[in-house]
Parts: sequence; C-alpha cells; structure tokens
Amino acid sequence: MALNLPYIDRIWRAEGSVTVAERLTADEAFTRLDPLFQTPGTEYAVEGDTLAYTKRNPAAQDKLATFTRGTLRVAEQQDGTSRVFFNVSSTALLLCFLAPLLFLSFAQIMVTVNAWDKAATEAAETGEKKKDEDKAKPVPQLHPLDQMLGAPAPEDPAKKKKDKEKKDKGKFDPTPAYVLAGLFFLIYCVGRVLEPWLLKRTLRAALSAQHGESAAAAGAFAAPQPDAG
Amino acid sequence: MSGVQVGKRIIGADAPVTVGWENIGRVEGGPFKQFFFTWFQPAVLFGLIAFWYYAPNEWALASIGIALGLGFKVLLLGLEWVNPRYRSWQLTWKEFATDLFYVGLGYTILRMVDSYIGDGVMIEAVQNAFDWDKFSWFTGLPLLVQALLISMIFDFGQYWMHRGMHNWYPLWLTHAPHHYITQLNINKGAVGNPVELFLIGLGVGGFFDFLPRAFLLAGAIGMSVATYQHINVRFNTPRWWRYIFNTVEHHSVHHSQDYEATRSNYSGTWIIWDRIFGTCVDGEAELLGMEGGRRMDIRETMVYPFAEGYKSARAALRKRLQLPDTAAHQPEPAE
Repeated sequence: MALNLPYIDRIWRAEGSVTVAERLTADEAFTRLDPLFQTPGTEYAVEGDTLAYTKRNPAAQDKLATFTRGTLRVAEQQDGTSRVFFNVSSTALLLCFLAPLLFLSFAQIMVTVNAWDKAATEAAETGEKKKDEDKAKPVPQLHPLDQMLGAPAPEDPAKKKKDKEKKDKGKFDPTPAYVLAGLFFLIYCVGRVLEPWLLKRTLRAALSAQHGESAAAAGAFAAPQPDAG
Repeated sequence: MSGVQVGKRIIGADAPVTVGWENIGRVEGGPFKQFFFTWFQPAVLFGLIAFWYYAPNEWALASIGIALGLGFKVLLLGLEWVNPRYRSWQLTWKEFATDLFYVGLGYTILRMVDSYIGDGVMIEAVQNAFDWDKFSWFTGLPLLVQALLISMIFDFGQYWMHRGMHNWYPLWLTHAPHHYITQLNINKGAVGNPVELFLIGLGVGGFFDFLPRAFLLAGAIGMSVATYQHINVRFNTPRWWRYIFNTVEHHSVHHSQDYEATRSNYSGTWIIWDRIFGTCVDGEAELLGMEGGRRMDIRETMVYPFAEGYKSARAALRKRLQLPDTAAHQPEPAE
C-alpha cells in the first residue's frame, strides 16, 4: 500500500493530526505511543521526528488493527503544545471498498446461470411433450392434538405448486448478493469516517497518558465501539 | 498450569479454562438487567415457537423466517454492545466487516454450489432408488414432535461431522481455520473455510417427509438456541437450558486455547448429544484460538486446507520414500 495516488488513495488512506496540550519532544511522544507498537506482528522504526510502522495481520483487539501501515510525525508548536501528524493506510478499508464489486459479480453469475437454466428448460420442453401431471398427492392432515390446539391446517400441495410456478423467477435469487453489495458500501462509508476518528482518540489517549501507564490500559480504549452495520 | 480433571481428561492444562457452572461469571447490574438477561433466551425460544405454530399459512414462508433471523441478529448485535461477556471480545469495525464477508459467501456463492452438490441433490439421487412413502408417516406426528425430530436428527449429524473434523486429519484441515477465531460474536459461526461450511451443512433430514410448518419450527429452535453459541453476551442461562442446549459457555470451552478443551462440546444445538457420548465439559473460557491466539486473515483461511494438506502429503511421501528433508524454512530477517 505504498502507492502514491492522489485523491484515489483517500479510499484507503487517512491523514490528520492530534494536538497534545504540552510540549513533547519526538522521543517523549514515541515513548508514550510505544505500547501501541509492542504487539505481535508489528515492526517500526524511528528516524528523527518520524515513526514508520507496519503491522502484519494484527490481533482483533489491536488498537491499530485497521490501519496496518503508516507514519507518525511529531512537531512542537509555538504556543507550547505539540502536534502529532499521522498518515496511515488500511488494506481492510480498500478490501471493504472493493467488496461490493465481488458481490455484484456473484449476482451477475446468478443472473447468467438463471438465463442458461431457463433456456435449457425451454429446449427440453419443446423437444419432448410435457410429462403427465404430477400424481395428485393427498393433502396432509394435522395430528388431532394440533387440530385441538388450533394450528392452521396445511395447504394443498397442488395449489401451492401452482402459486410457486407463477412466482418462479429462476433457480437463484440474486437479491441477497445485491443487498450485501449495498451493505458493504455502507460499512465502507461508516468505516472511512469511524476508523480515523477512533485512531485520533487512540493517539490522544496514549499521548495524554501519565508516564508509566500503559497506553493500552487507558480507559478510553476499552469503551465499546459501535458496529458498522 | 495444572488444569482440572473432567472424567479421564485434564482440562485447562495448556490455557485457562473455567470448569464447572458454579465458577462462571454472572450478569452484573440491577434487577431489570438481571431479569432481562436471565429470561431473554427462553422468552425468545417459546415466543418463536408460538409464532410459527399459529402463523397463518401465508406467513409461514421461508422468506419470512430469513427476515426474522436477520432482525434477530441485529437485536443480538445490540445486546453484544450493551452487555458484553468479555471486553476482549468487543466487536470492532474490522471484525464486523470480516465476519460479514463470510456470512455473505454463505448467502451467495456457497448457496449456488450447494444447489449442485449439496445434501439435497445427494438425497434426491438416493431417493430415486427407493420407495419413500414409508417415511411419510412422520407428517402425521404432532407438529412439535416433528420439529424436535428435524432439529435433533440434523444436530446428531452435525455432532458426528464436527467430532470427525476434530479426529480425522483431512477433515480437520477444513475445520482448523474456524478455530483461529480469537473472539466470539454472533457472525463468527460463518467464519471458516468454505469447504468446512459445506460439510457441516450436510444433513440427512431430507430423507424424511415433514410438514413445512415443522421445518419452520425446527428452524426457529435452531435460530433461538444455536445462534447463542457464538455470542459475546453475558446471560444467566437457566440451569435446565444449559443442561439440554448448547450455550456460548460450552462453545467458548470448545474454542479455547487449551487443546484438550477443544475436544469437547461438539454439538450445535443439543448439548445432550455431548452428554450422551461423553464429550461435554461445562464451563467457559476467554482466551480463544490457536497458536497462542494468532488471527488468521481471509486469504489464509481460503487456502489453508489445501496448502497445509499439500505440505503434509509431501512430508508423508518423503518419509515413506525415505528422501532427505529439505532445509527447514528460514523466516526472512526483519527489515
């Protein structure tokens, strides 16, 4: 994800900054942020005022699980505060953005198979005369106990079959695939707004944590996160 | 870690597992919260049974069942947020999106594959060779008896398929990715390799003729019991419920990082199958997964059975042919 594609990369990249109400050197800031990088699969390097990190398949509860690669830069401000600038990217956001395409392709496969299926059925019907009507099945009866308790009687299967034939749209219904495509688009939109906001909250909490207190133990991290759906 | 002896086995020697109902956590909060999270599960079960028992025929449709199921899951997601069992299992945006991807596969491409090679097709092929009228007497049984039979027959098959997956290496390869989940949430049941999801869905229920309403009732039982096996909600589950039904407590033991504990609680809905066959362990666990809780990503989940199967077959062949092992794989040095 080291691509540099202006505008397009906003799909998976987040940029911004967090202000800390005290003057921090880069070393002090990175010391406070250190617990975020002491997790399995994380590699990071500090060069001057910039920290670059990558996370390979981080744990579900890793605070930087969504943004698996990025840089953090510390700048001391004139007014006695500090700012930490972040520029991070997320494979998860990109895949979520692309997921609707996958489900739309599934829908397209279903539509195509339905068309083939219909053509094959019609060809078979014209080739040979329609078979005799299905043997009339007896209408199933409810057990007397259920009749006594008032459960509705089963429908005549012959009538049900006729109704079904009327409604028959094809072998596969592509509706769930369309719904899922829409759902993933919605989840992407939520994630694109929510995740950078949570990242800022995480960084702010870590940077304002008292010395010796683990960033991971900061109360704000444990707050419930809304699900995207 | 010393572990606890359960029957002939030591549970919790590798990783922490709480054994015994008297030791598991309880709902914390006021009387309303206690009441709600004690009676929610039975109320939903009996409510749904009553609904499907009396619903008019024009409502008794599979599509309404699916819509109810989806609405129920949204409600459960809300409960996970309000009253989580463990904060370390809290749903995140990324986990939710990942879980939904697997759920989506189940509703789309897997359903297509299933229609060509699933149990329905296999059963129809077998049925053509027999006279099936002899099974139609099931439709004359009381509806709830039919529903219980459908549910228990399906779960019996699932129990043995699942137990087989934990005891026969080729089947285990398909099931292993599911055991790399590190937390339980309601959609985690769909997380796994598609081959496994296909295998676990195979059932023999199609051999029997039941009334459609009985299938809907059985679906309601499955939905309002089995859904809870992957849920991050703390319930005060009634004693009778946890004696006959599978619970998240049982299933968290099954998913724990303790090897011996994973070889228990195989059923999906009816834990009594485990009690009957001696594989039930009552308790709960928080630390879940394999390899110390390594999270498996989607790509690895998709290829794992084939990649691991190839590696194992190659190693076995080399051993049999007594060829020298290739040099052990060296991980690349850190950048």
